[in-house]
Amino acid sequence: MRWLRAAASEVIGLFVGDWFQSGVSVAILGAGWLALPRLHVEGVAYVLALALAVQLVLATAAEARRKKA
Amino acid sequence: MGAQLLTFGAAFLGSAVESVEALTIVLAVGLTRGWRAPLLGTLSALGLLALLVGIFGQLIVTRVPELTLKLIIGTLIVLFGLRWLHKAVLRSAGVVAMHDENRAYAETVESLRADHEKTDWIGFTLALKGVFLEGLEVVFIVIAVGGTTGGMGVAVVGGLLAMVVVAGAGVIIRRPLAQVPENTLKYAVGIILTSVGTFWAAEGMGVSWPLDFVSILGLAVLYLVASRVAIALIRRPALA
Repeated sequence: MRWLRAAASEVIGLFVGDWFQSGVSVAILGAGWLALPRLHVEGVAYVLALALAVQLVLATAAEARRKKA
Repeated sequence: MGAQLLTFGAAFLGSAVESVEALTIVLAVGLTRGWRAPLLGTLSALGLLALLVGIFGQLIVTRVPELTLKLIIGTLIVLFGLRWLHKAVLRSAGVVAMHDENRAYAETVESLRADHEKTDWIGFTLALKGVFLEGLEVVFIVIAVGGTTGGMGVAVVGGLLAMVVVAGAGVIIRRPLAQVPENTLKYAVGIILTSVGTFWAAEGMGVSWPLDFVSILGLAVLYLVASRVAIALIRRPALA
């Protein structure tokens, strides 16, 4: 059982470093899934990429601040 | 052709990075305790990984509808790529120490010397665990990039070729490949995977990209700029 738990945490660890950051990324993708197909605007998918890029900047800066505190 | 090249490149680079880490563990075990057990452990791990690619690769490609597959795999690749990119940004900004293969090698050798009286299952298990865990990331990259582009064969070849190249280099120099710019490679692969993942996730949502596949280049530029901005922000005196 312990081995299974360790294996599961290794697999989850491939995708999740920080639960909050991963949650925000999934929320952005979820919002995109709900909203983007309804907009019918050329290039609207870049909004999704932009949101993820902003999230990356904010999350890394926040972690740097935490580590330096 | 462009899609196949990208599939091959992503599988090759991702696999090369992880193979360097696995090689460090196998070399440390082999040079300290002899080669039989770690080589058996490595072969067992490679067999398990091949089984995973065979089972899940086939299941995913044949059973899941294309749009659903793109959305799920795209989301997973975005999470996977962002995790690598996040670490690469923190390392480049000097917040987290760079991964040092020489130090990892020395630490493994030291811990093995202390345990030398125990049975050789340690050598077998360490090699099996190291190769299997590092290989899991390779398997994910190969299945993800191969499954969504329909280029599973190209992705498998890219992943295998990288492993052969890294293993060959390890056999020749018999030392950890510390001169491989692992952090830079992880940074590059993080950008490629996040870009490809975003592209597929949006396609899975039913949204089309202007210029289709070429948009991945635009996405890569966007993530590169964002990561450079993050590094610059972190290095600013207020945060330093």
